[in-house]
Amino acid sequence: MNRRKFLQQVTLWSAGILMVPPVFDIGVKAFGAASSRPDIFVAKGKDIAAMVRQMVDAMGGMARFVNKGDTVVVKPNIGWDRNVDQGANTHPEVVTALATLALEAGAAKVQVFDRTCNEERRCYQNSGIKPALDAMNDRRVVCEYIDDRKFVPVKIKNGRSLKEWPFYRDALAADCYINVPVAKHHGSSGLTLGLKNAMGVIGGPRGRLHMDLGPRIADLNLVIQPDFTLVDATRILLRNGPSGGSLSDVKIMDTLIAGTDPVAVDAYATTLFNLSPEDVRSTVEGFARGLGQMDLSRCNIQVFDT
Amino acid sequence: MGSSSPGAGLSQDGDSEKTGASLFRRKIGSQGIKPHLKQVRTGVQLICLGLFLWLFRITDYTGSDTIPWAVNIWFRLDPLVAATVTLATRTIISLLWPSLVVIGLTLVLGRVFCGWVCPLGTLIDLSGRFVKPVKNIRVQLRYIKYVILIVLLVSAVFTVQLVGFFDPISLLVRGMTFSIDPLLHFLVTGGFDWVYLNMPAAVSSLTEPVYDVFRSVLLPYKQGFFFLSVFSFFLLVIIFALELAGRRFWCTNLCPLGGMLALVSKISPFRRLPVRACKDCEMCRTHCPMDAVNDNRHIMTEECNLCMDCLAFCPRGITTFGFTGSKQRTVPDIGRRQVLAAALLGVSLPVLTRTDALSKMPDHGLIRPPGALEETDFLAACVRCGECMKVCINNALQPLFLERGLAPMFTPVLVPRLGYCEFNCTLCTQVCPTRALAPLDPAQKHSFVLGTAYFDKNRCIPFADKKSCIVCEEHCPVHDKAIKFDIMPVQDDQDRVMELKQPYVREDLCIGCGICEHVCPVIGEAAVKVVGKSSIPAALDWY
Repeated sequence: MNRRKFLQQVTLWSAGILMVPPVFDIGVKAFGAASSRPDIFVAKGKDIAAMVRQMVDAMGGMARFVNKGDTVVVKPNIGWDRNVDQGANTHPEVVTALATLALEAGAAKVQVFDRTCNEERRCYQNSGIKPALDAMNDRRVVCEYIDDRKFVPVKIKNGRSLKEWPFYRDALAADCYINVPVAKHHGSSGLTLGLKNAMGVIGGPRGRLHMDLGPRIADLNLVIQPDFTLVDATRILLRNGPSGGSLSDVKIMDTLIAGTDPVAVDAYATTLFNLSPEDVRSTVEGFARGLGQMDLSRCNIQVFDT
Repeated sequence: MGSSSPGAGLSQDGDSEKTGASLFRRKIGSQGIKPHLKQVRTGVQLICLGLFLWLFRITDYTGSDTIPWAVNIWFRLDPLVAATVTLATRTIISLLWPSLVVIGLTLVLGRVFCGWVCPLGTLIDLSGRFVKPVKNIRVQLRYIKYVILIVLLVSAVFTVQLVGFFDPISLLVRGMTFSIDPLLHFLVTGGFDWVYLNMPAAVSSLTEPVYDVFRSVLLPYKQGFFFLSVFSFFLLVIIFALELAGRRFWCTNLCPLGGMLALVSKISPFRRLPVRACKDCEMCRTHCPMDAVNDNRHIMTEECNLCMDCLAFCPRGITTFGFTGSKQRTVPDIGRRQVLAAALLGVSLPVLTRTDALSKMPDHGLIRPPGALEETDFLAACVRCGECMKVCINNALQPLFLERGLAPMFTPVLVPRLGYCEFNCTLCTQVCPTRALAPLDPAQKHSFVLGTAYFDKNRCIPFADKKSCIVCEEHCPVHDKAIKFDIMPVQDDQDRVMELKQPYVREDLCIGCGICEHVCPVIGEAAVKVVGKSSIPAALDWY
């Protein structure tokens, strides 16, 4: 089975022609294979736009991921009705920088969305992400609220803890999917990083995933395989995550981490919290499913000071 | 429109009342504007209705923490609301000053509010195109509106607030919030969704842009779900169905606001002229929408809503409206015994609501909205206008039915399983017209206690099922978490020891926003529930 075939099934299901849910039966992307030595790019500095550009260039430039006329999904964390400084959502400048690069590479449409935890209009507004994207004033950039009609049930063939779950069609159908989580503490999973960010493109009662959260996050990532992950660690929430709320829990890190290997990126981000990759269950489970490398000694880490 | 015609009319004002012949000339002289006054009135009505509907639509989150427009202005203009709230709370609420404008207007011009401004009146007029009175029925129950008015005011003196049952604006806003708006949204969205989900993409790509226009202009942002949707709908249906028994039936016979303005308008010098209908003509009696002509052919000042229809239908064209010193006045159509009976009822109802066993029952943990006054004061100040429930960003505020007896019906409570109180949102406190919800700034809101959460360990997953969860803790917005957890070693089925996070509530930090109850993944009743503080007097809250 290939991606095209899966998307055909999604389309047919959406049109009411296919009665059984689409089955996702695609192996993990080659560059995520645990045997390879994935690159991790780390940028430190204050100029977020320049840092994003530097890292994307280091990964081979946006043209590697985006072809002319593509639909690009930039998926930040907009989960909470918190402002930029409180560190519960992805920094808006990271999002706009990626949208700009995608447009420069010829994207026909850049979609930004997240299924929020608090009321969505407040989250989009207070996070600063919607105002920042609106200020770009470009019709190709679409910052939209989740449309409940677009959830498609997907059978996860290789899922271990999760066999079927509704996914957001636009996330499945995107030509290029860029995962832009914010790094922060999380009450139940320890930390929430790149893999956990897939929770924002699924439907259903998400709370019910928490009974076996780490393995289920990894199973979700069998379906949602981002072209690359860029972790926003400009400021990180050390305690009382994922919702946070107090500036006393926020630490300024001025760091961004990027890479095509979602497990390796998460593994590196863990170290910012003085934890090791094994402490985060979703990283361990992702590694076990072959989603990527969690052993940082087997990664090429490049650090830029911008 | 020549400016000469009105001028000509004015020049004859001095002696125009004298004879039929001069009146006839005057009619000719002012032909330019007189027939148009009815259209002017209709125009003003439509503008007011449009304003009402627009304010209703923007009673919502619009991207700003504050609502920039006085969306509650209709309640603040309402003298009946002002009177009952002032009596019931025994305080002057400065927010309600615009009601004095309506009183002043009525003192000078009569019931123009009813005829020109009231959105319910306008809707009733519009419905008259579809609902025609059944012939041969002319029910005259004008006294009932005074009876209702007296009951409301006397009850209010005894601090029982019943205005919401009969205030026209409350009835309308609630009906629209609970039933019309959700109905509209459901029908429109349902149609477009059906096309979207069942038609080829080519078809839905045509309908979706139309849908977007509907969504941005006509529809509320979200589908609303409300208790009492059917009930509120039928209250509105009844008002409009009563048109079968006579035009403006609600306004002439039932509306207590109309009754109040009728009493105020009694001394208004601006009147329909001539003040009596002509001897040999039945047109005024049969055609007046307000049925404002009594058996002695007097035009009842307190019934006339100055709709100016009589300018148009008068066969002789002699009717006009103007200031007059005429001493010929009618008296409100209510007898002394009826006044007494109404007053007695007004005294009885407060007593009866207090001797209802429900008032003795401990509160079942009702969660009042943020900013709510202490329960007794809240019930006195709340006019059941529905604004807070309309604006609630999570559709979390719902109207009470008979759970706490008759008097608190339609008052707002938070139902966390349906929606929680958004931490940073203060919209309900901003739209409350009577300060039953005191305004809160963000910092005050963050610490305002609605209630307290407690766990049911028989249902809570880490306790009952030995599985991890703590979704509640994740969502808790309070710093630094009113829900905390112990990390406990637990033995599983295979006797392996694993660590589980078992939650508990820090009562001193919990504000009772209900997000924990809302997101609790336990099916059915949540394993963490919020109990409102509404009925616990502060002095007794010792633990």
